Formats: sequence, structure tokens, C-alpha cells
Amino acid sequence: MERAVLLLSLLSLGVSSQPITDGQRLFSIAVSRVQHLHLLAQRLFSDFESSLQTEEQRQLNKIFLQDFCNSDYIISPIDKHETQRSSVLKLLSISYRLVESWEFPSRSLSGGSAPRNQISPKLSELKTGILLLIKASEDGAELFPDSSALQLPPYGNYYQSLSADESLRRTYELLACFKKDMHKVETYLTVAKCRLSPEANCTL
Amino acid sequence: MTQETGATAAQLKGYSPPGKPTLTRCRSPEKETFTCWWEPGSDGGLPTTHALYYRKESSERVYECPDYHTAGENSCFFNKNDTSIWVNYNITVVATNTLGSAFSDPVDVDVVYIVKPNPPEKQTVTIMEDKGWPFLRVSWEPPQKADTRSGWITLIYELRVKLEEENEWEMHLAGHQKTFNIFSLRSGGKYLVEVRCKPDHGFWSEWSSTSYIKVPDYFHREKSVWILLTIFSAFIFLILTWLLHMNSRSLKNCILPPVPGPKIKGFDNQLLKNGKSDEIFSALMVSNFPPTTSSNYEDLLVEYLEVYVPVEQELMQEESKDLHGGCLKCERSTSDSDSGRGSCDSHTLLMDKCGETKEEGRHTDRASSRMLTEAQRHQKGWEKDTLTYAHGDMVSPDMSNGRVKTWPSVFSPLPQYSSNPLDKQSSLEMAKQHCLSTSSCLTQPGHSTKEALGPSNWDFCLGNKQPHLLHPQTQVGRQLQAHSEVNISNIGRKQAPAGLQSPALRSTEYVEVQRVNEEDLVLLQPVVSGCGRIEGYPQMPKGKDYSKVKGVDSDNMLLLQREVMEEDWCPGVDQEINGGTGNCYTSSTVNTTQKPTACIHTAMPVQGDMALAMNGYVDTATMCTLPTC
Repeated sequence: MERAVLLLSLLSLGVSSQPITDGQRLFSIAVSRVQHLHLLAQRLFSDFESSLQTEEQRQLNKIFLQDFCNSDYIISPIDKHETQRSSVLKLLSISYRLVESWEFPSRSLSGGSAPRNQISPKLSELKTGILLLIKASEDGAELFPDSSALQLPPYGNYYQSLSADESLRRTYELLACFKKDMHKVETYLTVAKCRLSPEANCTL
Repeated sequence: MTQETGATAAQLKGYSPPGKPTLTRCRSPEKETFTCWWEPGSDGGLPTTHALYYRKESSERVYECPDYHTAGENSCFFNKNDTSIWVNYNITVVATNTLGSAFSDPVDVDVVYIVKPNPPEKQTVTIMEDKGWPFLRVSWEPPQKADTRSGWITLIYELRVKLEEENEWEMHLAGHQKTFNIFSLRSGGKYLVEVRCKPDHGFWSEWSSTSYIKVPDYFHREKSVWILLTIFSAFIFLILTWLLHMNSRSLKNCILPPVPGPKIKGFDNQLLKNGKSDEIFSALMVSNFPPTTSSNYEDLLVEYLEVYVPVEQELMQEESKDLHGGCLKCERSTSDSDSGRGSCDSHTLLMDKCGETKEEGRHTDRASSRMLTEAQRHQKGWEKDTLTYAHGDMVSPDMSNGRVKTWPSVFSPLPQYSSNPLDKQSSLEMAKQHCLSTSSCLTQPGHSTKEALGPSNWDFCLGNKQPHLLHPQTQVGRQLQAHSEVNISNIGRKQAPAGLQSPALRSTEYVEVQRVNEEDLVLLQPVVSGCGRIEGYPQMPKGKDYSKVKGVDSDNMLLLQREVMEEDWCPGVDQEINGGTGNCYTSSTVNTTQKPTACIHTAMPVQGDMALAMNGYVDTATMCTLPTC
């Protein structure tokens, strides 16, 4: 909420003296949040993997290769070259879509423990932040004239339609995909932030 | 067929298919390319070739390794074009020889999680100074390949430092920064510095090449500080020593206060050190302690009569009750409600107790007065009284039923104390015990009781305790004196209830019957006869003793019987002398006639005089009036 208020105030004032600084601050916040989400996803996955037997792990690996994540339909740059070729706006939009795609399924991430319960709200906040960033960019207004275009087919059914006996495999896939997607968003946002920052030495 | 023959031939020669290779690791230095290494198995004796095949996550197409040489032997290098991030690679290595091939276990690789960057480059270490104190500044550059500038990779750094002669490194985490300061250096030491880095999600790089640096000597600055410190502390020490020396005495008194020594008057420490106990104790003997002169005895003599009040009479009676336990008098005083306090068994107690007979006398006096007024049992009472007095002749304390007006000398000398009658017995007892037990008690030679009982019984214990002991007794003594006085006169004194505490009554006096008024009260008047004023040692009382009531004649006249006394004759007193008995019969009309027949002897001023006065009792109460007599 604070970000929304701040950004709106800035917009209302028109062109402020340091829009980039505010944008950088927002980016920093978004990056830190997504980093935290990624760490959470990593921990969840490693915990799940450690609880598996060796035999199960091998089978899951094979199975995992056969299926793929739900977010695979979202075309995203998969190497550095492509990423650097993409504009900031594109990166932001892709990040937005990725986060949105996980907003609903994250609730089924075998919730119960405290970290897992925090994933969904954090995703919502992150989504809001990315949206702010998108709108703050110059081309943002044009890209999302109608948010309805971003309405993706409900993917909750994708994960919920599975039978019970495949729950173990499904959990594994969920966690692995979630971890990967979070890392994607983190990378995209970091690259976008560093591209916008004036200093060449973008290591923050 | 040929193949099979060849294979079989090869097998027959002892060759075998290659062993199973294993993928050891895959690494990406910058998240753009990666390399996989494998370990080949046994080659089976035949030339074996290895091939690496991989399959990407979403497709079934199998690719072969594009570059086997760039990364060295048994490696496969994936360049940028072949590398996809966030894509699972399923990699398999196959070893093949003429006899067969062997597949390794597939390995899933996601490039993002296998990043291990190169060590930082361009590491520099310089010595800089901070207000005279040196410190090391280490700076480096990220590895060349890692694209941190665009944000593709975010690296964190860590460095370690140690002295050349030490074995353990000191780790420092530098975070994202590329410079670091190291403080607290040893002067003249040689330091080794190394740096390494790690991406956000990846592996630590190797340590960079070691940088050596030598810290210059800055000990001289420390030395000057030490010199100043030493001088300052020495100065402070000198000042403290001087202060201590100046105030040594007061400090000594403060820390080690002097032990107060014993201060006993007349006590000579030297004597004690010499170890002669006799001298010590003789030194304790103060000249005037305890009083041994006869003047004390004079002071102890009671020279006036004391009057008591009825309330105190009861108390005194109680006290006497305590004392008289076994005395006849005690038994007679049936009106006492006390339950025989004390016992009259011992001789020593006897005197005291019998001395307390005054109380009983008082009690009897009341009875007597009652008898007087009622004129009913007076005879008996008087007889009792006379008996008492007769028994009082006995100086010896064995007189159990005698009304011994004996007063322990202990109690007499301090009449000014207002006593608490209730404490009488206890104090008496205490006094007695005190007298008996204390070896330092002196005996009053004039105390006839002592003569009778023995010196131990009536030791006159002077000392600090004396006032306390005497205190409760004086009043009693006074009261008893009054008691006895009344007994002597056999007439209740008119002023008896009133002037008890009158100091004028301190000394026993003998009164004579003046008259009997209309109310059947016998009026007494003091008689100062020359036969009574005897001070000093006890003397035989002179005068007549009319303490015994012989009877009441028909004319309602009290017939007093004079006691048998020696040389007792009271001049100026009319008396009827009966034969050799010396009984002086005096009759006094109860009604109106004023008959100065009662021969009342003045109280013997002799204190502690156990010798029976003419009146037949020993007046020891006079002792109570020591200071005022």
C-alpha cells in the first residue's frame, strides 16, 4: 500500500525531480521481495526433496521431465541474450504474468506451515508492485489498456484436477515450478532495475 | 556377422565393453555457458569413445555435446547458444568401444543452480592511515566473465586475512561491495589476503591469488604512550604514598580501631599479668566497699514508727504469708488468701519470713482493731500478739511463730525507695540468696540476727544490687514497722491508715495510750522515753513492754501485760508490778479515761537488733530507715 500511495502521489505531482530514484526504490523493493519469495521456494523444495526416498526421487525426476510447468506457455527469455534484448516493459509484463499465474495455485502448496501461508499474500503484493512499476514506466499506459486481456485461463484447475495418488508427484512439480518461476522473476526484475539505474556498476 | 565375430574375438581376447562413466559435475561460471565433466569407467582394454547426449526439458529431441575440447578432456562445453536458463537438461554420457557401450546415469541440470563464478580479479591491498593508525584496504574486481553490470548475476564477496606465521584465517564477509578495510594490525606484521565470490544461488568461487602486505612499524607511537602512562602512574603513586603517610594515624584508627581495654576501678592490669590472683582480688577491694563501719549500722536503725495504709497491709500480709510458710504466725493468719508462698523450713529464711510477721501483725492488728472496736475477740488476739511478742524475745530465728521484727539488713539502709509490696517476697528471697551466696558480702556485726543465725544468714550485701533489693523492702519494712508499732501498743493507731508513708514514721516509736475516745478508739501518743534511744549495738531494752493483752476486765479496760524484761522499767510510767514476773499490768479503759499506762518503749534505734526489746519483739524494721534515721 505504501508503494501505491507513494507512486500515486508522485504521478499526481507530475514529473518530479527524481522519478528515476523513486523508480529505483520501487524496483529495489520489488527485487527484494521476489528474492525472498525465491528463497522460500527453494527451502520448500529442498525440504520436500529431502523427505523423499531415493527411489522416489529418481522417479520424480523422470516424471518431471515429462510434464512441464503450467507457466511454460508464458514465453519468456531463457538466456541472457534474450533477456537483454527485451525491453524493461516486456520484462515487467512477463514478470507480472508469472507472478499472477502463481497467485492462485500457491495456496495449494501444502499449506500449514507459516512460510507457506505467507506465499500467496506475498505474491499478491509483488503483483501489485510490478503493476505499479509497469504503470510508472513510460510505455506502461499503453500496454495495459485493458487488464482483461491478461485474464488467463484458470490454471487452478490444472493442479486440482489431478487424482489423489499423484499428489506426491504433483507436489514435487508444484514446488519445482514455483522455485523456477520465482527465480525468473527475480532475474528479470534485477535486469530491469539495473538497466534503469544510471550507474553502470549495478551490483546492488 | 563380422561385427559379432570381431566382438566375440575381442571378448575372447579378454577385452570387455567399457565401464560405466559417471558425470562428476557441471558448472557454469557466468550463468551463460556451462560445462560438464565426467569420469570414464574402465575402458575394457579397447579404445573407448565417450559421447554426451542431452535432452532438454520440454522436447524429446536428443542433442549431442557440441564441444568436447574447450573445457578439456572428458568434458562437454555448452556455449551460449546451447545454454538455456531455467531449462532442465537431462544429460547422459555414453562410453563406447568395439565391444559395447555403457550409459551413465542421467543427470538433471538446471543452469541457474550450478553457477560457480571465477575468483575475483585485480585484487589489491594497500596500507592506509587513520589518525596515525594504519589499516589495510583490500579492493578487487568481479570475475571478468560474470556480468554483474547488467544485473544478470549478483555476486557477494568474502575475504580472509592472516598473518604469515599463523595458521588460521580471519574471515570477513564483504557483501556486494568490492572494497574492504582491515583494522587492528600488528605493527611490523606481514599479512596474507584472499578474496572469493558467490552468486545469489550458487557455489562459492575459488580463492583468489594471495596478496602479501607488510605493515610498517608504528610501535614508537605506542612506546611514547607507555612512557607517559608510566610516569603518570608513578606520580599518582607518590602522591598516594605521601597522603597515606600523612594520615597514617587516622587511617589506622579508621581501619583498625583500638580495642577498648577493660576498665575496672582499682583493677590493675599489671597485677593480672603478674598472675597473682590474691593481689588482684585484694585490689578489687575498695576501701569503702562494702561498708563495714558501724556508722552504717546506725543508719540502718529505725528511729521512728512507720504508718501504713490498709491496702498495703493486705499486700504486706501477702508478702508475709509468703515468708512465713511454716511459721506459726503464718498459720494463724488464716485470713490471708495467699497460698503459702515460700517455706519457712530453712533457718535462713526463717528470719526473713518471721521478719515479715509484721504483716501478719498488721493483719492481726486489723483483727485486733476489729476486736477492739467490737471487743469480742480482742483477748484472744492480744494474746496472740503477746505470744508473738513473747516469741519475739527469741533472737534466734528458730522462732517459728514469733513475730520477729527482724529485718534483713539488706533491706534497711535505703528507706527512701518506694517499694512495690508485691516484689517483697521475691526481693527478700533474692536478697537472702544474694546475701548467702555472695562471698563478698560483709556481715553486719551489729546484726543480732547474724549472731543468732550465723554470719552467713544476714550478710549485709552491699553493692549494686543492694539498692534494688532494698528498695522493695524498705517500704515493707516501714509498713512492718508500723505494724509492729501497732502491735506493741496493741492499739490501732489513729493515724494508722493515714500516715503510712510519712517519713516521720520511719523510726519505730512507742506510743502510749492517751485515751479512748467516745468512738471506742484508743488514742495513742508517742512516748519518748529515755530508755529507748539506744543507738549502736543492741542494748537491752528499757522500759516496760505492754504489748500483751492480758484481758479485759469488767470495766472494759484493757489489761496489758508487761513482758518479762530485764531492767526494764520505764520511768514515768505507772505500772503494776507483779512479783518477780516483772509483768506490768496496765489497764487502760477503753472508754474514756486517759491512762498513760501503756508503756511504750521507744524503738530501739539499733538496726538489726535481734535482741528482744522490752516489748518482746525485735525491731529490725528500723534498719529500713538508714539514711533518715
